[in-house]
Amino acid sequence: MSNSDALHDELRRIVGESGMLPDAQIADYTIDGLTPKSVVLPASVGEIQDILRLAAAQHLSVIPAGSGSKLRSGNPPEKVDIVLAMTRINEVVEYEPADLTVTVEAGIRLAALQERLAENGQFLPLNPPYASRCTLGGIVATNTSGALRLHYGTARNLVLGLRVVHASGTVVKSGGKVVKNVAGYDLNKLYIGSLGTLGILTEVTLKLSPIPPRQAILTAQFQDMQAAAKAGFSVVGSQTLPDFVNLVVHSRLACVEARCPTLVVGFGGEAETVTWQLAQTRRIMEQNGGIGVKEIEGESRQQLNDAIQAFPEAEGDSSIIVKMNLKRTDIAEFAEGALAETREMMALLGSGVFYLKMEEVKGILDTLANLRERAVKSHGSLIIESASPELKQQIDVWGPVEGRTLGLMKQVKARFDAGSLFNPGRFVSGI
Amino acid sequence: MPYKEQLIAELSDLLGSKNVLTDATALSVYECDAAPSFKAMPDVVVFADTAQQVSDIVKLANKHDTPFIARGGGTGLSGGMLSVQGGIIIALNRMNRILEIDYENERTVVEPGVVNLLLTHAVQNQGYHYAPDPSSQKACTIGGNIAENSGGPHTLKYGVTSDHVLGLEVVLPDGEIIELGGVVEETPGYDLRGVMIGSEGTFGIVTKAVVRLTRNPQAYQTALAVFETMDDASNAVSTIIGAGIIPAALEMMDRLVIRALEEAFQFGFPLDAEAILIVELDGIEAGMQNQTDRMLEIFKQHNARDVNYAKDDAERQQLWKARKSAFGSFGRLAPNYITQDGVVPRTRLPKVLRRISEISEKYQIPIANVFHAGDGNIHPIVLFNERDADQCERVEHVNMEILSVCAEVGGTITGEHGIGVEKMDYMPLIFSQADLQVMETVKDIFNPTGLCNPGKIFPTAESYAKLGLQPELS
Repeated sequence: MSNSDALHDELRRIVGESGMLPDAQIADYTIDGLTPKSVVLPASVGEIQDILRLAAAQHLSVIPAGSGSKLRSGNPPEKVDIVLAMTRINEVVEYEPADLTVTVEAGIRLAALQERLAENGQFLPLNPPYASRCTLGGIVATNTSGALRLHYGTARNLVLGLRVVHASGTVVKSGGKVVKNVAGYDLNKLYIGSLGTLGILTEVTLKLSPIPPRQAILTAQFQDMQAAAKAGFSVVGSQTLPDFVNLVVHSRLACVEARCPTLVVGFGGEAETVTWQLAQTRRIMEQNGGIGVKEIEGESRQQLNDAIQAFPEAEGDSSIIVKMNLKRTDIAEFAEGALAETREMMALLGSGVFYLKMEEVKGILDTLANLRERAVKSHGSLIIESASPELKQQIDVWGPVEGRTLGLMKQVKARFDAGSLFNPGRFVSGI
Repeated sequence: MPYKEQLIAELSDLLGSKNVLTDATALSVYECDAAPSFKAMPDVVVFADTAQQVSDIVKLANKHDTPFIARGGGTGLSGGMLSVQGGIIIALNRMNRILEIDYENERTVVEPGVVNLLLTHAVQNQGYHYAPDPSSQKACTIGGNIAENSGGPHTLKYGVTSDHVLGLEVVLPDGEIIELGGVVEETPGYDLRGVMIGSEGTFGIVTKAVVRLTRNPQAYQTALAVFETMDDASNAVSTIIGAGIIPAALEMMDRLVIRALEEAFQFGFPLDAEAILIVELDGIEAGMQNQTDRMLEIFKQHNARDVNYAKDDAERQQLWKARKSAFGSFGRLAPNYITQDGVVPRTRLPKVLRRISEISEKYQIPIANVFHAGDGNIHPIVLFNERDADQCERVEHVNMEILSVCAEVGGTITGEHGIGVEKMDYMPLIFSQADLQVMETVKDIFNPTGLCNPGKIFPTAESYAKLGLQPELS
């Protein structure tokens, strides 16, 4: 019997046949060219602990996963042994609508949670990419967000508490279940965006919002990037309170003329409030040279919403998704420069987040390195969210972290996961 | 020369002797914060003016193996800045410069000694404010707010300090100056900025912060609703939230507080009411009336006796002045008081308030209530006379039982005041030893010598004994 068969048997003993992903599907969990030895789907915290114990004893790596939508994130892992997928641990643990909070198991899909919350006129105000598949644990671990972050914030602002299994198998909690809590250190922040390098998230408590009675989107085209950005900033700085103000250049979006900078501004709220904001925004857009200002309604609005949400999703192996964090006042300049490199980009103007969709063409490494250098010089950052394994071998997807700060991060990793069981090598500077 | 004199001599060389206090009378100002039941005398107080000076002071402290603690406005409510093991208090009040205001990016860069309200004053002409608004905002500093992750009435809608801080310059406990976070919303790697905020001054000393500015809303609607029972008022609170109305602030005061406020300030509140709610909606004027009407409907459903609206900004300011003056009026109710700070799920408010009133009855200790009802963040004010030993003992039981109730219903023991020395003993009510061990680990990474603000947050063996718990020793 080979080593791999022996491992399968041991894992099967822990999770049972239904907890083993069939061999034929294991290749779906290939990460940067490395195919896992096993993909397990535990059904309980006890099973997770047993898996971790086994992995530690045999010096095997554990890759925490949800639905697998973020397998392209991070630097290429040093090794991929066991993928631990959380999708069977997916219950709503506690939901009292009048408290506007919910506690869920980490493997629940966002779409399933939203469906449940909608029955009570509520929602979790996060609209990250991979909307139909992604799980709450994955969203928190990768700190993904969408355009709504301008109005509602990100996981940093919405997560109230977490339950985590550490490499040692110890189950700990951070935070709590109430909307305000300063008892002890705010370790939620440590786990949010840690890419599963510190432990397996098993439970998440979140702040919710009421679904606004009316939602609306207004769009306009502009001659050039500067004009579009200026109009966008005027909206951001006005008395309106938009859900998002996105500057989009997209070759395939129905309402967006190819290569024509387009503003897509979303609102949610009381009908009367939204109507007033639409009128204000229309005026601002027209004053700033907006062409064809129009409200997108009905099914088209839903399609546009979905397209914006799905913008940062990887398409095909050679597509590169770049995410930059910039001062919002720097976005226009970067966007203008990027026109030469790509046909598709989207900036969340109010939040200073800028997505670029690029292709793996000749000279791409230099382009990325130059962009990053400029971003860092402007006190921003550039993260490669998705790229081929070959490209990722040649460029650090995260970019630099300063010396002592990195030292602290490395110490955190060493103290939480001394054996580097979780996701070895995928996080910043080889963590 | 004994080590202390040597240390003081070196501090004087570094900062000039006028910036080094050693006189007992001068030091006594620094022996407590705004929770005066807890006192400890520092050996020396120094005034720092730059990050480099803070770093040099910290290095000297390390050299002499002496504890050091940063202090801002001294308005903390949990004894977080107490020099429980003596040592150096580093006063940051002189580092009170607003270094940069960037309206286009809605950010400002400030030193830690900037007073919260003065930051708002500095930007209000441009139509902005700094959103976290603790009741002590006239005196508390941004550095202190960051250490405690402070809240305030308007955090119901706008979030707590952590939601408004993007970047920090920090002097680590070994004296090195580093930056965490930045001017943009996210930086790669672990969110150490987020971990630093709310670490109660035990991970280092913040010497600069990049914080968000928030645009002033176009319109406000501020209402005062009067109720005959606490139950009605607290049921109204969870109905409002459950109905999808998120006010900017939703505050409750009970009869004792109303009485104290009236005696002190004559705001004109009804003395025979059991509870009043101050509710503020803010945002866009169009459509606000709908929300106001729905809210009025909810008040009526819950038997509100009277609902009044602030007619203009002066009346609105007056209402908020009243709310934020509450703490200044408790001296009228008893010689001493302790402010509790538990948080409970909003739907549990009626039950919890009833339990608190039973506890008050049982121990014959009066308890007043003034709090952030919309957040479920209660502030039972436990009234007593510290010269009465019997009362003090009963107060101990009262505190313990109130916090136990908060923990029991799935809440927490502090929503904005911090653990400090005041609530260390109660941490095991909400955290297991394994949970606390992880916190200790993180503390050890930032502060391995333990010299930076020692003796805070973590329960001791006595704490477990006090709770009747057996710590499982690892």
